[in-house]
Amino acid sequence: MAMRCKRCRGPVVIEVRRHNAAFCRDCFVHYAGQQVTRAIAKHHMLAPTDRILVAVSGGKDSLALWDILLGLGYQTDGLYLSLGIGAYSERSKQLCERFAAARGATLIVHDLANEQGYTIPQAAAQAARAGTAGRSSCGVCGLSKRYIFNKAALDGGYDVIATGHNLDDEAAVLFGNTLRWDTESMARQYPVLEATRPGLVKKVKPLYRLAERETAAYCVLKAIDYVIEECPLVAGNTQMRHKETLNQMEEASPGTKHNFLFGYLDRAAALLRRADGAELAECSRCGMVTQAPDDPAEAPVCAFCRTRARLVDGDARPLPITEVRAG
Amino acid sequence: MLVTARLRPPDRTVEVADVERVADLLAKLEVLQGTVLVIRDGDLLTSQDRLRDGDSVEVRFAISGGA
Repeated sequence: MAMRCKRCRGPVVIEVRRHNAAFCRDCFVHYAGQQVTRAIAKHHMLAPTDRILVAVSGGKDSLALWDILLGLGYQTDGLYLSLGIGAYSERSKQLCERFAAARGATLIVHDLANEQGYTIPQAAAQAARAGTAGRSSCGVCGLSKRYIFNKAALDGGYDVIATGHNLDDEAAVLFGNTLRWDTESMARQYPVLEATRPGLVKKVKPLYRLAERETAAYCVLKAIDYVIEECPLVAGNTQMRHKETLNQMEEASPGTKHNFLFGYLDRAAALLRRADGAELAECSRCGMVTQAPDDPAEAPVCAFCRTRARLVDGDARPLPITEVRAG
Repeated sequence: MLVTARLRPPDRTVEVADVERVADLLAKLEVLQGTVLVIRDGDLLTSQDRLRDGDSVEVRFAISGGA
């Protein structure tokens, strides 16, 4: 028997196996918006008067998020950070600019090389030279984004930063942290992180209820042009390997990723957050918030300033990278 | 019965014979259904949609390494 839309009983375009459901185009778009609305309401992520900075990469998740938030009537501007990854970064930026222009929305662009003096390919080169001793290029990329998003939001007077982390991202990060029993990182993994002190901007992940296949489908159905090619530096990274493992389990038992993540959020996250006693301080170099050093006599220096100094002052020649171009 | 499938990323085109439905195509390609979208002429296909001889479809991977 042909599948029918769960909501309107019409012909379907997509199955969502973990909900034992399938949807037609319009009902799927409605479902995606509803999942974001539920996430926002459950965790008090956004208020109607908030000025929201949406971190966009040109990928499916962040552009779907911006589109949904605009559709829900929130006051949003986009923030794109150019990472210096050759044609891949150029194409990503171009797609963000086109998205914003088509909707009359504001896109703020920052550039890692011009503003901070290094690129992610340079970080990759240094990581290759340092072996396992240094931070990976994906690690430097994530650290740079978190720092610059927070600073840009502070400087621009935004109330909230919204990022496009989806259910798969969150499940994979939780999986990795659980394998290492990294309880400090687990304690900080939540769909909303409040601004607990001056210098920190509230951060929200309104897509955590949607799988990445669903955000990709949303973009196809809404004709949102996104970067399909993968970052040339990401191949074989740890999160990708964890996603592959989880996807194997999901195929055999739909709902595995959902139950893993939502079970953690509902039953374990609060326990870990209560036990998290990380003390915060101001970075002695840039003034941003960072973890206080164990030795009170030591001047606090944030991870971003330490990493930046290593990259800018050290040997940071870029490695040649193979660009993956759109076909 | 021959179907042309363009897999991306990266961007690779293969021809697959004797597949009746999208689920058969993905099984032959050894691709997990939950990790891709299958697109024909701009329309999404479900796993149970029938394929036609001479069809060209895109098998688009929806997994990315970070947000």
